[in-house]
Amino acid sequence: MIVSKLKEAKICFSNLRVTLPYPFGPGAEVGEGFRGKLKVDAEKCVGCGGCANVCPSRLIRFYDDGEQTRMEFILDRCTYCGRCAEVCPENAITMTQTFETATNDKTDLYIEQELYMLTCKRCGRCFETNNAIDRIPTQRMRRGRNFVGASMPHGAPEGGEPGK
Amino acid sequence: MQSHLLWLGIAGHIIGFDTVLMQAWRIREPVMWLCEKITGNRKLLGMNLIGGVRRDIPAEIHDELLQVLARVEKETKQVINAIADDTTLRARCVDVGVLTPQQVIAYALLGPTARASGVGIDIRVDHPYAAYQELGCEVMVENGSDIWSRVLVRMRETLEAIRIIRDALRFMPSSPIIADIREPIPPGKVGLSSVEAPRGETHHFVITGEDSRPYRWKARAPTFQNLQGIPVMVAGEYIADVPIGLGSMDPCFSCTERLETVDVRTGQVRVYSKKELVELYRRRYEGK
Ligand code: SF4
Ligand code: SF4
Repeated sequence: MIVSKLKEAKICFSNLRVTLPYPFGPGAEVGEGFRGKLKVDAEKCVGCGGCANVCPSRLIRFYDDGEQTRMEFILDRCTYCGRCAEVCPENAITMTQTFETATNDKTDLYIEQELYMLTCKRCGRCFETNNAIDRIPTQRMRRGRNFVGASMPHGAPEGGEPGK
Repeated sequence: MQSHLLWLGIAGHIIGFDTVLMQAWRIREPVMWLCEKITGNRKLLGMNLIGGVRRDIPAEIHDELLQVLARVEKETKQVINAIADDTTLRARCVDVGVLTPQQVIAYALLGPTARASGVGIDIRVDHPYAAYQELGCEVMVENGSDIWSRVLVRMRETLEAIRIIRDALRFMPSSPIIADIREPIPPGKVGLSSVEAPRGETHHFVITGEDSRPYRWKARAPTFQNLQGIPVMVAGEYIADVPIGLGSMDPCFSCTERLETVDVRTGQVRVYSKKELVELYRRRYEGK
């Protein structure tokens, strides 16, 4: 009995305090590659919907509304699996190191963003986001009706008249 | 490994021996940090995908991993050694919460609870999956049938888990960590898998549906099965022994959430449907 108590005491005394005074002081650092609250970069997103397709909690939703597509993240259901960030072709989603997500305001866990879709000149239906088209190097050649960008070399001089 | 250390802490806490709670959780903590480093999270590791795993174990973590294993092994042994003759602890655990092997078989109890009553079932040995065929696994059996045996089984299993991880690391082949699956998953297929979780065998059953999504998914966690043994275990025991009796099965209630309400006056039992529960919640919390 005594021996066992002494052994227990030895374990306790050879390992003194290991806890941190969190939240009154700084907490522990999270490791590299930690998956915390996600962040979306609306500039990069091309609205492909890949993230919504893989999200196991089904919390990413798309609503088409004319020229706009509204994208909604209801993060109170997020399991921080990071699949959305993994599949995003544009790396628009990043898993940040934020883990202090407790809140009494639900809107803290809500992200909404609007994507402007460019319409197809022929049929008038949405087909691609502004962001995606902006990234195509032939962008300067998409003015006017005589769009023949495909025949222009990428290195056309600045101010060069496209389509001629 | 971390689950058993967590359990040891909680079991200690239930019987008022908080020192073991503090120490077991302290020992366990480096394992959680490693989990975070390897997978990105302490819990909800989110590693498995259809076809493989998402992240490899980074090469620079290997040494740290082995160090942590060595430390956890040493400290776990220290704790086992220290509590082995603790008379207070033994008074609360030895010959308390007894489940005879016959009862274990009759109620189909699983995992360490069964193994502590001399019923050596372990899916890793009975139906080896993953790499268990090559790694092997010693089934830890105790014959005391009481809570103390469950402590011993779990502690020995913690050490065995460390051995398995070491061997797995040593013999790990270098190959792609995930298969490249491009075809959609055909609907209407059935999958069933059983693995040995820390609390006993757990079964997942899935029927595939349209769009590569599951049509139905049913999980049978070991706690559901183990809870069936509680009435016979606590029958005739002191009320003070009920919490540790229940705790000795390492129940995970979030795995086993089933709900029925009993009106204590009339004895009427009622089971709520999902729709009723949602409505009840809305009325209560959203004032609708
Ligand atoms: S981290 Fe996982 S659960 Fe959260 S939004 Fe991304 S895919 Fe969905
Ligand atoms: S966030 Fe990424 S995956 Fe999701 S719609 Fe935008 S580009 Fe696609």
